[in-house]
Amino acid sequence: MRSFGWPRSLHGETLFKVLLATVIAVPLVVFVLYPLIHILGRSFQTPEGLGLANYAAVLGTERFLRLVYNSFAVTLTTTVVTVVLAYVFAYAVQRTCLPLKNLLRLIALVPLFAPSLVQAQGLVLLLGRNGLVNRTLGTDFSIYGFWGIVIASILYVFPYAFLIFSAALATADNRLYESSRILGANRLRTFLTVTLPSSRFALIAASFVVFTLVITDFGNPMVVGGDYSVLATEVYNQVIGQANFELGTVIGMVLLLPVALAVAGEKWVHQREYAQISAGSLPLQLRPDRLRDTVFTVYALLICAVILMVVGVVIFASFTHLWPYHMGFSLRHYAFDVQNGIQPLWNSVYIGLMAAGIGVAATGLAAYVIEKFATLVRAPLSFLCIVPAAVPGMVLGLGYVLAFNKPDTPLSFLYGSLLLIALCNVYYYHAQGFLIASTSMKQISSSFDEASATLGASLLRTMGKITLPLMWPTLVGIAVFFFMRSMVTLSAVIFLITPSTQVAAVSVLMLEDRGAVNQAAAFSVCIMAVVIIALLMARIILNVLGFRHVTLIR
Amino acid sequence: MSIALCRKILLHLVVLAVLLPCVAARANEITVYTSYEEDEAAAFLAAMQRDLPDLKVHLLRLSTGDLHARMLAEAANPRHDVIWGWAVTNMVDPRILDMLEPYQPKGIDKVPARFRADDDRWFATTGYMAAFCVNNEVLSRKNLPMPSSWEDLLNPAFKGEVVMPNPASSGTGYLQIASILQMKGEEQGWEYLQQLDNNIAQYIKSGSRPCNSASAGEFAVGASFALRAIKNIQEGYPITMVIPAEGAGNELEATGLMKSSRNKEAAKRFIDWTLSDAAVKEYYIWKEIVTVSGGTMPESFRQAGLPEDIGSVMVDMDFSWSAANRDRILQQWQQKLER
Repeated sequence: MRSFGWPRSLHGETLFKVLLATVIAVPLVVFVLYPLIHILGRSFQTPEGLGLANYAAVLGTERFLRLVYNSFAVTLTTTVVTVVLAYVFAYAVQRTCLPLKNLLRLIALVPLFAPSLVQAQGLVLLLGRNGLVNRTLGTDFSIYGFWGIVIASILYVFPYAFLIFSAALATADNRLYESSRILGANRLRTFLTVTLPSSRFALIAASFVVFTLVITDFGNPMVVGGDYSVLATEVYNQVIGQANFELGTVIGMVLLLPVALAVAGEKWVHQREYAQISAGSLPLQLRPDRLRDTVFTVYALLICAVILMVVGVVIFASFTHLWPYHMGFSLRHYAFDVQNGIQPLWNSVYIGLMAAGIGVAATGLAAYVIEKFATLVRAPLSFLCIVPAAVPGMVLGLGYVLAFNKPDTPLSFLYGSLLLIALCNVYYYHAQGFLIASTSMKQISSSFDEASATLGASLLRTMGKITLPLMWPTLVGIAVFFFMRSMVTLSAVIFLITPSTQVAAVSVLMLEDRGAVNQAAAFSVCIMAVVIIALLMARIILNVLGFRHVTLIR
Repeated sequence: MSIALCRKILLHLVVLAVLLPCVAARANEITVYTSYEEDEAAAFLAAMQRDLPDLKVHLLRLSTGDLHARMLAEAANPRHDVIWGWAVTNMVDPRILDMLEPYQPKGIDKVPARFRADDDRWFATTGYMAAFCVNNEVLSRKNLPMPSSWEDLLNPAFKGEVVMPNPASSGTGYLQIASILQMKGEEQGWEYLQQLDNNIAQYIKSGSRPCNSASAGEFAVGASFALRAIKNIQEGYPITMVIPAEGAGNELEATGLMKSSRNKEAAKRFIDWTLSDAAVKEYYIWKEIVTVSGGTMPESFRQAGLPEDIGSVMVDMDFSWSAANRDRILQQWQQKLER
């Protein structure tokens, strides 16, 4: 164990550390494990006591098998296509001499600023049976069903995969490429023997992330799926539509399995990763190459055009008088006639701010305790911090309803409050926030802490004077992360809304559900506007204070 | 201002911000569950707010079937004070009736006796009836005939052009199916629905979305309800409202007071308001069926094709049959037709 401070204060400090570790662990248990246990329990609950009847009732049916097949068909297709498209895009941005790199990167991230179903909204407006394309070309094809879900999902998860590939392709050892060139390898061969092998871990990680996001998303299938049902929509219908919690939890457990396997697989691969950059590495030098650069520029522009078109048509439709008949400008769709009007947007902002505050405190502290104290509980604690990554949002949300909507339990007062929704978002995205914090914490040399301790500063003083000042730009980034995700997430919160705690993304779903397409588009635009304003504000604050290099979106 | 003070204020603000939403329901706040369409409900509430400015209503709007499921799931700990504008067929479920408290609101005499419960647990002021929204543009582009009846929808030319609500979640969907089964008899009724299934592009969860989808031109025909068609015609969509020649299935929307309400005074004020003149005036603007006198059908309804005497086009529904057989019919539907 590393020594902190003087012997006489050792006892107090140990106590403090234990206290901090508890402060981290208890909420994780209450807000992650406790709801999960409820789901597990409920799935075995039958009118005749505990048993497997619910599983038997679901698993054997023909309809269920079809849903499993549909879910996997959509998810695997999306995963393969997205990984290829995003890899090539990241390659274009990182490994070729592309003009307007920053702009292209930003456009690729646009889908992150909106609820997932915006992609499906845009697709219907563009490619629906009476969408822009069919109307202008006089064709008659239908986007509803398998391909609609796949295309919408690709657009939705593209930025997630792109961010992973972009980070992986950002650095490389130039010596390898020089050797390859000198040995006479052509470009394809160099790519196959140097670039591709060195990014194989990113390929696996991205596949798992995409798989998890798609198999648990129900926003896109609801809007563009038509009668093509998948597991995620079935959970939604069973629980929200039929209040059939038992069957909902069974399917939830079924969803948990592949996702947990995917996350475990990713961790396993991650541990086998080795450092590609050593002290002797030389930074990669990009040489201009007319043909290559042109091909990749065209490709990147195409991808960006598709992304912008789908989001753009939603923005456009929100301002038209009567899509698709009278395309004149009108603001009337911004007078929302949904329950509680525009209030859900402010609820979401409020939830986002709470989630940002709580999320920064929770993940920052967790990273601090795990990185800076070599205690016995380090391994289990850090495992606990990562667990939420394996829990699909809708499963967590369902667990919250079961765990907290019980009148006789001490935490039941949380049910029906915005705070619980904020907490749900914090713990749903806990793993990602924690990883950002701990990566940055690792970069702060422990010699600062030791110097501070040697000089007689208390642990608290070291935290306040050393760690926080070095960490805070990262913490701003984490706050932005939690705020952004809280504004757009649908899957976890859908089960937690009550008449007084409606959130924006759910309003979009409800509007879309009843077929008020223009208003749904307008509400989506409001959400995007809030997210972009928040990002700009954070960016300006960081820039003014001299932290231009801090990345806000990851 | 010192930094310490700043921090203190900030801390208090944070604590306040976190605790504020937790404050429990106050004296003049009630929670109301409804299946009125969002735009109707918003208009009614705006009118209510003018008359009762101090009453704060938290409204949850869900499809008829979804609301049914939610109320049964919450039965141990109901969160609402009033059920407002919800299908009578669902209201008379004994499990729901058990949750209701008999109450005679001010002005209940305005409601004819056949539109209220004998024991005063519920009364119905409004209702809706089935209608098709047919997109003129799509019809002419695809050279399809204008349908005038359920029977016409069996025409193979309509394959993939008809959308219909899912009766498990949508009240409109259930009344359509119940009316077909009542008119044709169960055996022939199911046979018809099975044949119609060949032409159905999608079964949609909500009762208004089929009309909205047809209005947007995504499909030629959306089986929906009359008012959605009328409103969309007013909006300027190129659609025609078709009331099925066999007769339009219909449903009444009822209101009731929850036994479990923690704020009965406010809840009763709200229910009294639903029978006030101002409320009735709103019903006549928004509903094709109003059981209370005090207004006339707007000119725009007539222009859209609604007959003066709507009784002449409506199926004489057997609501008690619809209610008693609901679970069984939905189960059969899910087995035979759900996708």
